[in-house]
Amino acid sequence: MSSDYGFQQLVLLNSAGYERAELPLDESVSLIAPNNTGKTSLINALQYLLIIDKRHLDFGAHDKDKARRFYFPSNSSYILLEVTLPESGSVVLGCVGKGVSHDYNYFAYQGPLHIEEYRLDNGKLVTQPQLLEQLAHHGRTASFYSSADFAEMVYGGARRRGQTSSEFTVFRLENRKDANAYRQVLTRTLRLDKLSSGEVKRHLLQIFSRQLPDSVVDFKQEWDKAFAEVNQDREQYRAAHNQQTLIDELERQQDERLATRGRIIARRPLIDDGLQRWQNHYQTQSESLEHQHQNLQKQEADLLQRDRDQTRRQSELNQQLAALKKNEQRCDELENRFTLIHDRSQLEQQLASATEERDRQIALLTNAHGQSAVATDHQLRREEQELSALRKEQETLSDNLYLTLKQHLSEEQLSVLNRGLNRQLLTLSPGDYQLESQQLLQWLQDMPEDWFELPGLNLSVANQAPQYEQRSAEEIAQLIEDCQGRLRQLQEQKAASREMESQKKRKAELEQEVKSLEKDLEQFDELTQLQKSRPDRLKEMEVARQELAEIDQAQTQASAQQQTLRDQIQELINKRQALDTAHQEIDRIRQNRGDSDDQFNWLSDLPHTPWVGDTELPLDQLAQTLRDYQRDCYQLKDLDRDLHHRRITLHSSGLTKFQYAPNPEEEIRLMVEFRHHLAREAEALEKKARSAVVTVTASLRDLRGNLQSFENAMHEFNRLISRRKLSDLKVFRIQPVHESHLVEAIDLLIQTSEKVESGESFELFNQTSVLDDRQLDQARQLLIDEGSARHGLKVADLFRLTFELGKENQAIESFDDIDSAASNGTVLMAKLVTGLAMLHLMQDKTRNVQALCYLDEALALDAANQRSLIKTASEFGFALMFASPSPLITAHYCVPIQQMSNGMNHISRKHWQILQPLEAVKA
Amino acid sequence: MSNTSQFQQIANNLPNLALLFRWFNRGRHLNRIAEPVLWEELERNLDDYTAIFSALGSDLRLDGRGFAWFHQDDGSSNTNKATRQLALLFMVIFDTQADAGIPLMKFEHWRIDQTLLTTVFEQHQDLLEAEELDLSGLVSLMRTAENFGFARYDGGAWQLLPAVCRYLDHYEELASQVDQDEDVSWAGDQDDEDNSL
Repeated sequence: MSSDYGFQQLVLLNSAGYERAELPLDESVSLIAPNNTGKTSLINALQYLLIIDKRHLDFGAHDKDKARRFYFPSNSSYILLEVTLPESGSVVLGCVGKGVSHDYNYFAYQGPLHIEEYRLDNGKLVTQPQLLEQLAHHGRTASFYSSADFAEMVYGGARRRGQTSSEFTVFRLENRKDANAYRQVLTRTLRLDKLSSGEVKRHLLQIFSRQLPDSVVDFKQEWDKAFAEVNQDREQYRAAHNQQTLIDELERQQDERLATRGRIIARRPLIDDGLQRWQNHYQTQSESLEHQHQNLQKQEADLLQRDRDQTRRQSELNQQLAALKKNEQRCDELENRFTLIHDRSQLEQQLASATEERDRQIALLTNAHGQSAVATDHQLRREEQELSALRKEQETLSDNLYLTLKQHLSEEQLSVLNRGLNRQLLTLSPGDYQLESQQLLQWLQDMPEDWFELPGLNLSVANQAPQYEQRSAEEIAQLIEDCQGRLRQLQEQKAASREMESQKKRKAELEQEVKSLEKDLEQFDELTQLQKSRPDRLKEMEVARQELAEIDQAQTQASAQQQTLRDQIQELINKRQALDTAHQEIDRIRQNRGDSDDQFNWLSDLPHTPWVGDTELPLDQLAQTLRDYQRDCYQLKDLDRDLHHRRITLHSSGLTKFQYAPNPEEEIRLMVEFRHHLAREAEALEKKARSAVVTVTASLRDLRGNLQSFENAMHEFNRLISRRKLSDLKVFRIQPVHESHLVEAIDLLIQTSEKVESGESFELFNQTSVLDDRQLDQARQLLIDEGSARHGLKVADLFRLTFELGKENQAIESFDDIDSAASNGTVLMAKLVTGLAMLHLMQDKTRNVQALCYLDEALALDAANQRSLIKTASEFGFALMFASPSPLITAHYCVPIQQMSNGMNHISRKHWQILQPLEAVKA
Repeated sequence: MSNTSQFQQIANNLPNLALLFRWFNRGRHLNRIAEPVLWEELERNLDDYTAIFSALGSDLRLDGRGFAWFHQDDGSSNTNKATRQLALLFMVIFDTQADAGIPLMKFEHWRIDQTLLTTVFEQHQDLLEAEELDLSGLVSLMRTAENFGFARYDGGAWQLLPAVCRYLDHYEELASQVDQDEDVSWAGDQDDEDNSL
């Protein structure tokens, strides 16, 4: 079935070794030439017009520069294609060489292709610079185009220069994106023998790519993304779960802190006010107590003074009373004594008689010897001594010194000597002696001691009283007698003295008696006096006693009073002490307040539990309250520190999800809340994990879905290529085969997720958890590894294409490579059908513009197959061109290539042979 | 000049050329699931690799089921011994599993651990002893398989890799030959398949 629209003819002028080549394209062609005579280069020329993009030009073994020189040797080398289009009728697409650079230029115009129009009047071909002018001359409005613009035109791209989009659009694709793939397949279609399995797969994927949305799945990223939160949450849950005790403690302390804060906040103004009032209170109270104290002390002093006076008075009265008593006693005593004496005159009489007797005695004594007994004794002893001396003299009277001296000395001499030894001598006055002291001294020195040496006389004077008077015995006897007489007299006198003593004693007694009587008289007078004053005295005693009793009573009272006073004073002192103690304590706390930190200034801005205690602070409770307050302040600081440490501990044990709370208090609140809702958190976590599994598999489902879509598309594609029988093949299809390990892994994950979605026995933290499943983990790891090796998983990674061929009566076989699948001819056919089907799929089916496909080595196909291929190609919208050394009678045209004498090839319209079935000719 | 520089250019685009060459040259198989990165590179540059290896005198083969190897028509006697022993190993394993009613095509999912190897050994003791293999010999044979890229050791057990398909294909072929020998109508129709490893 040929189309009304499509390629009409290909013309090469002065190109590719052809002087001129005209090739019909509106029906199947058998191009006939021996090998290596430029069949392929003829068909390759179309690439310049249809592929356009230099990058995609493919000349097999020849590189593109060589090809350019080959196709455009001069500026009059042309490749021309006439196409009939539904919108604009016949159009010519052309490519002309630019000369020595071997570059080329695109042009196009509406109208049929007449080779003559390219020939100048001189028969030469028009050169590129004159081309537009030449064509204009023939009424053709041609323009040059850049390759990009030309490509846009041919493939129906953007409208430029006011042209309608379809003016030169040869290929209209269902999807603009396919242009690239289309061109590539088309390239291959022009050289189908090169189509490889890999290319088939690539192109099929490209063709179906619009049905497969851009789905590159980076599975690892998807997995990590989906589970990142779950894993994080799970960590947090576990941390909180493990630290429940600590969090409970945290909660308790936080409550305590809030309460303490509330208390401090409520009490602080009370305390401030209380302290103010306390100061006043203390001063007033102190003064008042001081005043009272002084009063009491004064009272006490007064009391003491009075007491002292009373005591003095008491002692006076006692003395007085004692004196009175003594008098009374004296009175009684004297009354006793003078009981018998009634009258004073009696006593006067006794006194008078005693006085008289005494006076008599005194007179007696005055007449007696006045010498005293002592003097008499003295004289007696002297007389006795003299008597003893005299007696001694009497003994020595016959032989003594004096007598001796008298014998030897004259009387005068003796007299001088005797006088010289007079006892009075040493009392001589100065006129009576002469003293030669030197001489005397010399003399005395020469004398031994106690010896008195006179010339010729040495005297012992040891026992001597000086001076001696020699007496006569008679004289001595006389003297002794005298002495004895005096002694007797003296002894008599002594006896008389003794009598005198007793007289004197008598006189003393008498005087004593007088005195006694005088005293008695005196005492009697006293008695009389005492008796007379008795009534007064008794009365006086009574008064004194009464006064004493009064004093006693007063003192007793005073003592009680004093005790009371002392008690009162003590009480005051106690009060004062208590006041001072309280003040000291309050003052101490005030000086050292626990709320001096900054934080206490904005404490009310911090969270706290309002305090519901008293709003009044009586002063007597101030100290206690202040102590409590102080304790609260310190406790608050301790709590702050403890809570801080606990929070840090919780952080380090992994509970970090609330770290970014606006403040630590909020964080603690959230931690505590979290701990209370752990059970709910576990549920939420499980839900999250489920949804993560679902999420992560969503992308896999997409991928799997795309694979399914691709398989469906391939099914359609196979239907397309199986419409005609290829060679002896009963079955020919291109089958996507799963990369089973990947697809199975994906399916496993998807199944798991379905299980999860339906909530079937999925426990997050037990052994069957999705996160712990070994098989699941292997699947996950596989997908991650493959994904990272391929920078994400694509549908293309999930399958490979196999070519399934089945001959009659044989089992279907699969081949990875189409080239190895069957005989040459079969392979050629397979490739062709595949390629055409791909192009067909891309084209806009509503616009039937017949294109060309080319098959080299066509002799490998038998006639039946050739016919089948021609039909198939036609159905896909292609005219088939076979190339072979000998003609194929199945084609509509047989076109031989002729070699000219100048070595150039030549194909002329005149050599076209048109083959028609006999029936048709007959008809 | 151009050939050398062209080769150099191609080689520069193949960072793992040396690694892959050593890999294959040791007779080791490359499995897609075991070495996804190497596999991806090989697949992406298959033409270049094939060309270079071919120029180096090696025939790179790539099986669509996900494994590649250097094909050798006739291996050294050492390789042959290893090949024969591996064939025996896989055969006894597959036989054991088949007896247990386990589908053979899912061999990649089997866990070949000590327990399984013991069972395998007990069931094929005569055969293995004829080849002078005891249980520890069987284990060391698994290591050989690992070295040739037929298995990998993971999580305390071996896992067979797709390259084992080469043996499996071979067994099936042998089995079908036996069938054909028995089926007169198909006799003698089997000739041009490549049976060597």
